[in-house]
Amino acid sequence: MRAFFWACCLGVALLAACASEVRRIPVDLVSTVPDAGRRWACTATLELLPESGYRRTIAAGTEFVAVGRVAQGLVLKPTQTVLTLEGAHMHEAYVVLHDGQFVGFYLPVERAYAALPRPVPAQLQEKP
Amino acid sequence: MNMHAVSRRLVIAALPALLVACASGPKHAEVVASIPTVAASEGRVYIYRSNSMLGAAVQPNVVVNGKVAGESKPGGFFFVNLPPGTVEISTATEVEKKLTFTLDAGQTRYVRTTVGFGVMVGRVYPELVDNAEGAKAIAETSYTGAPLPRR
Repeated sequence: MRAFFWACCLGVALLAACASEVRRIPVDLVSTVPDAGRRWACTATLELLPESGYRRTIAAGTEFVAVGRVAQGLVLKPTQTVLTLEGAHMHEAYVVLHDGQFVGFYLPVERAYAALPRPVPAQLQEKP
Repeated sequence: MNMHAVSRRLVIAALPALLVACASGPKHAEVVASIPTVAASEGRVYIYRSNSMLGAAVQPNVVVNGKVAGESKPGGFFFVNLPPGTVEISTATEVEKKLTFTLDAGQTRYVRTTVGFGVMVGRVYPELVDNAEGAKAIAETSYTGAPLPRR
């Protein structure tokens, strides 16, 4: 029984040790786009499940400003809150919007895009 | 010796180590007036750790953009002023954990360090948190950074 307990502890610890690097591809952010500066607020709480498995929640009322565009869509930066993407390490992240759905994350430091395995319908209301 | 006696001795033996492990600097309220305002050309990052006994003895250096800026101590905080740009904060115990984020001129950001489970020792994770949450949390901590100018 004791051996089983320690085996479970070791298993949990080893799993914790195995968080993989966030899978991403380099992208160019073009900030001079017509949408830059437009603001939106999220009208419902949304759950985003990145490939790494570390779930991210965007609370209702979260505000975003468009900061540019990458090949995958429009890049929205949260204005009052922070959003991060976690794998082996943690990265500040913005969301990428395409055809009314959050399709992935833009990592401003790494200048990279990390796709969501399942896009999530974005419930956004534009702010004046 | 029965189990209660052993447990009591272990607690007595561990107590000094736990007390030493906690941040011992002045409380935030005592130093807040002495914290200089950040220059308009720079940003500021506050780094803190809440006062938890979990992994209290694990106190790695906090490295900011390649330089040791302080230690992750339970119940402690310090800050660094940096030029605008990208910031990488790392802590290392049995593995290195990194956080990357951007910093604008005049911007203040908050990084919480927390202890998680590891294989042999606890790991310390740096996390970027909302400013409202960070400002509230450091009010409960003690200053562990470089001496501040007297006011």
